[in-house]
Amino acid sequence: MTMKETIDEIRNQLDFEITKVNSLPELDQFRIKYLARKGIIAELFETLKNVPPDQKPSLGKELNELRTHAQNLHDEKKNNLESNQSSQSELIDITLPGRRKWIGSLHPITQTLNEIKSIFLRLGFEIASGPEIEDDYYNFEALNFPPDHPARDMQDTFFISKKTLLRTHTSPVQIRVMEKQQPPVRVIMPGRVYRNEAISARSYCLFHQVEGLYVDTNVTFSELKGTLVAFAQQFYGSDLKFRFRPSFFPFTEPSAEMDISCFLCKGKGCRVCKYAGWLEILGCGMVNPNVYKFVNYDPMKVSGYAFGMGIERITMLRYGIDDIRILFDNDVRFLKQF
Amino acid sequence: MKISLKWLRQYVEFNITPEELADKLTKAGLEVESIDYLGSKFNNFFTGQVLTVTKHPNANKLTVCDVNVGDSNIAIVCGAPNVAIGQKVVVGLAGAVVPRNQHDPDGKAFELAKVKIRGVESNGMICSEYELGIGEDKDGILVLNDNVTIGIPLAEFLGLNDIVFEIGITPNRPDCLSHIGIGREVAAALKTNYKLPEVTINESSSSIENSAIVIVEDSDKCPRYSARVIKNVKVQSSPKWLQNYLSAISIRPINNIVDATNYVLMETGHPLHAFDYDKLNEKTIIVREAIDGEHFVTLDGKGRSLTAGMLLICDAIKPIAIAGVMGGINSEITDNTKNILLESAYFDPRSIRKTSKQLGLSSDASQRFERGADPNATIYSINRAAQLIAEIAGGEIQKGIIDVYPKPFTPTRINVSLQRSNNILGTNLNVCQIIELLESINCEHQVAEKQNAEKDIVTFKVPSFRPDLEKEIDLIEELARLYGYDNIETKMQSVIKFTSNPVQSDIVDEMRLWLVGRGFNEIVTNSLQSKELAYLSSSEVVEVMNPISKDMAAMRTSLIPNILEVVRNNIYHQTKNLNLFEVGKTYLKILQESENQKSDENYKEEDKIILAKSGIANFPNWAENERNSDIYDLKGEVEDLLLKFGLDKYKFIPYSTTKALVDMPVSIEINQIEVGYIAKVQKQMLKQFDIEQDVYIADLNINIFKSLSKIEKKYKPLPDYPMVLRDLAFITDKVVPVSEMQGTIYKAGGELLRTVEIFDLYSGDQIHSDKKSSAFTLQFFSEDRTLTDVEIEKIINKIVEAMKVAHNAALRK
Ligand SMILES: [Zn+2]
Repeated sequence: MTMKETIDEIRNQLDFEITKVNSLPELDQFRIKYLARKGIIAELFETLKNVPPDQKPSLGKELNELRTHAQNLHDEKKNNLESNQSSQSELIDITLPGRRKWIGSLHPITQTLNEIKSIFLRLGFEIASGPEIEDDYYNFEALNFPPDHPARDMQDTFFISKKTLLRTHTSPVQIRVMEKQQPPVRVIMPGRVYRNEAISARSYCLFHQVEGLYVDTNVTFSELKGTLVAFAQQFYGSDLKFRFRPSFFPFTEPSAEMDISCFLCKGKGCRVCKYAGWLEILGCGMVNPNVYKFVNYDPMKVSGYAFGMGIERITMLRYGIDDIRILFDNDVRFLKQF
Repeated sequence: MKISLKWLRQYVEFNITPEELADKLTKAGLEVESIDYLGSKFNNFFTGQVLTVTKHPNANKLTVCDVNVGDSNIAIVCGAPNVAIGQKVVVGLAGAVVPRNQHDPDGKAFELAKVKIRGVESNGMICSEYELGIGEDKDGILVLNDNVTIGIPLAEFLGLNDIVFEIGITPNRPDCLSHIGIGREVAAALKTNYKLPEVTINESSSSIENSAIVIVEDSDKCPRYSARVIKNVKVQSSPKWLQNYLSAISIRPINNIVDATNYVLMETGHPLHAFDYDKLNEKTIIVREAIDGEHFVTLDGKGRSLTAGMLLICDAIKPIAIAGVMGGINSEITDNTKNILLESAYFDPRSIRKTSKQLGLSSDASQRFERGADPNATIYSINRAAQLIAEIAGGEIQKGIIDVYPKPFTPTRINVSLQRSNNILGTNLNVCQIIELLESINCEHQVAEKQNAEKDIVTFKVPSFRPDLEKEIDLIEELARLYGYDNIETKMQSVIKFTSNPVQSDIVDEMRLWLVGRGFNEIVTNSLQSKELAYLSSSEVVEVMNPISKDMAAMRTSLIPNILEVVRNNIYHQTKNLNLFEVGKTYLKILQESENQKSDENYKEEDKIILAKSGIANFPNWAENERNSDIYDLKGEVEDLLLKFGLDKYKFIPYSTTKALVDMPVSIEINQIEVGYIAKVQKQMLKQFDIEQDVYIADLNINIFKSLSKIEKKYKPLPDYPMVLRDLAFITDKVVPVSEMQGTIYKAGGELLRTVEIFDLYSGDQIHSDKKSSAFTLQFFSEDRTLTDVEIEKIINKIVEAMKVAHNAALRK
């Protein structure tokens, strides 16, 4: 057997034997057999002295490669065996829960409001706000609710003084925005409003609204419908049906309520939609020219629309909540569901 | 407003189902909130005729009857003793719900089904009047008149098959508070006509002029007063048809006179009042203002104290009615009434509304007058009532009407611009359409003498029953309503113009999300609270004049009580480990209100964010010991929040004074501005809320936070040279604050010392009991070179020396 043949045979032997190694002691046997100072490879290096000098360089190279190969096999196996061993010695019960942290939550009212805001921001609306303790002037008079008018009965009011009250809707912010800014005006105005009504499953002494206002040249009722349908389709899904029906708000004319087909029963009729198949989601209309007079806009030059929706109502419809009070109870077991 | 379909059919004809009609009305702005099928409780009951009666083969007291129920003959087993061949009877078929079971002590309702009774099939039941709930006779079946047609639904036979709509009428439409008013709308919606009942009156020869005098002292508040006198009426129950109409719309029949005025009210919408003529002193009606303190007993039996400005109807010496609101007990129609005076007036809406509000008294009449009645309807409605009374109560209608109407109403004329209408609605209507649509609601097109060149302007005369139509926009709204909102195109065509300001995310939204990520649950609470709670935090409380309850008589001055209430309720439900936050406002009165100031100058609304932690600090974990939250947990949350939003120059400074509701308050300051504070809630407050565990809170002012927070972010190059870390521990007296030691270290360390963080605090056996050991990690680096050990040692020696001088601190080996 030539030295070359011996080297090749040992390489095969290495490749085979390493597969039989299953423990660290066995691996040590392997190491002693091949890689130790008196191992097989070391012995071969000894015999290299006896080969003819012309063969020495090439055989020396082969031998070096063999040693590297053996060492690699050994190291690789050692790594494998050690990592297996460590996972065995550190007994893990992966069924134990991990080290967790508290999970927080945004109040459902905030979540609904955020979604509404994001849709209108995409439609080019800005956000404005105003005070909750409001003048009669902004809450009623400038919105075309004349003093001693039955329309005021539509909203039961908390009074702070004869002329100061807790706003009953976010509409006064419309006036505040228009006082400060000339058209075009395109804003939404979220906020808290108050109603002096007995607290029940259906009504609370306060709730949240999002008001919208767009005033420019050539804003039409058709545009109002288009915008609100675009909103509703983004919020509720594009397959819904909708309808606008005439209504009355002193500060808009024509006024409308927007209904969408009940998404719970798909319009067939259920308890939530009172078997009508429709859900009322918002009130809207064209800004009444009387309102422009209070903010020094020229009703012959501009037109606009306004709309308003109740966040609690929308939140309750979305999540199937049937008692408004639970939104204000803040039971963590409830909050964690959102 | 309840509308009876049968009643409505008197004025307008239609061939659509009640549901279709409801849809039409709703689309016309008259929202049908519900439909009540009055006859539905008699579903599956029909009139029938007994054809044969044979003995039941297996029961002595029963018979088997063959009954014709119209389209078929059915076999019924009957137990009634009075059943006989040829009788017309009421039959309930399978599925019918018998209103009362006469064999049940409570008379509970039950549903009929096909059954076998002692082996013989029975397909229904012949009913007694008790069972049907229309009488009390239980002794036998109800036998009807021979001339009754068989096969008629029972509801129809009884005249109880009416369908009643509940319609939500908006405050601008007083004209729709009547059956004729709704009839007009139905006609417009269906493009058909409506008709008013014809009124013919047989007057007696004696004239009203000799029987009554009407004096109107205040014709601003009472622009029109019409009166009729009817003598020798017979007060009794109304006929069935009238009672049925009134009952259908939930008005209790009283007597024929009152029922007739109520009927005309619900028919025409015009309120009427009938006085007992013989109780009127000197047969005189005086319409005058009340005198302050005047006393009056209204029909409901309640004494009312009147104030000046309220309008009264009086006789020669005393008030007999509060005009347009309610009559008085002293002149009401009784069984003994012989002669009546009928009033049909028009009162000023504002005056009626004021009186009704002041007295807290609202009636069918006041609701119509305050929204605006029709001044031109007084005559038609008084005649209609007189005709009806003569018909059902007899009596002689005195000749003539006293009609005090000094300033007749001038109809409103409104110009409508075609172009503006189309511009506002986004429609393409032409002049003909506009005229056709508005004429369908009785707005008369006025042909102009000088026709406008572009024919853009059309003039309309508005009917007197539409006080809401005053301006062009009111008619444009009517155009939209009549044209149909559905027919107006739904399109978005405006160009989106974004503002010139760059979009900035709302810092409050970001704070919310940050806190949610930190495990906090957001809460939303009531901003009304009791005065007691409100005054605990401030003396400048905003009080509510007309609160729902004492618990909500003031605006909150602090978010703490609310969050404590939430803590309490959750603990009650066994959720004891709480991490809560709320974004909300507090409200303060900053100035005494004066007439010419706007409210925002008198009141201050502050945006706050409050954090509360109570119970275990970290999420319970099987491997680590639980630890209760303390002030450092809250401080850590606040520090992270501040750092996250670029506020690294903060200082926590204990208050030198006390603070409401909390103990150990620590102010959070940035550049000497207080952003908020952290604290532990007072034991006493916790006790008040029945909370037995500590609660720590942080209360931050959002607006200050916002104004200080760095909006602009700018990149700083990372250091090129390695940083060096050194740990140093110092032993000092326990009282030396860590932040002061940090300050000393920073100062002595010079500019190469970048951060000083405490990583351990020790007091215990290894050191003297008055001492503590504070261990710090110091971080050094330079922007232009690698620091050498020698350099670092030099600085550390300086620090050790400075610590010794400043705090008598010894380096711990
Ligand atoms: Zn539904």
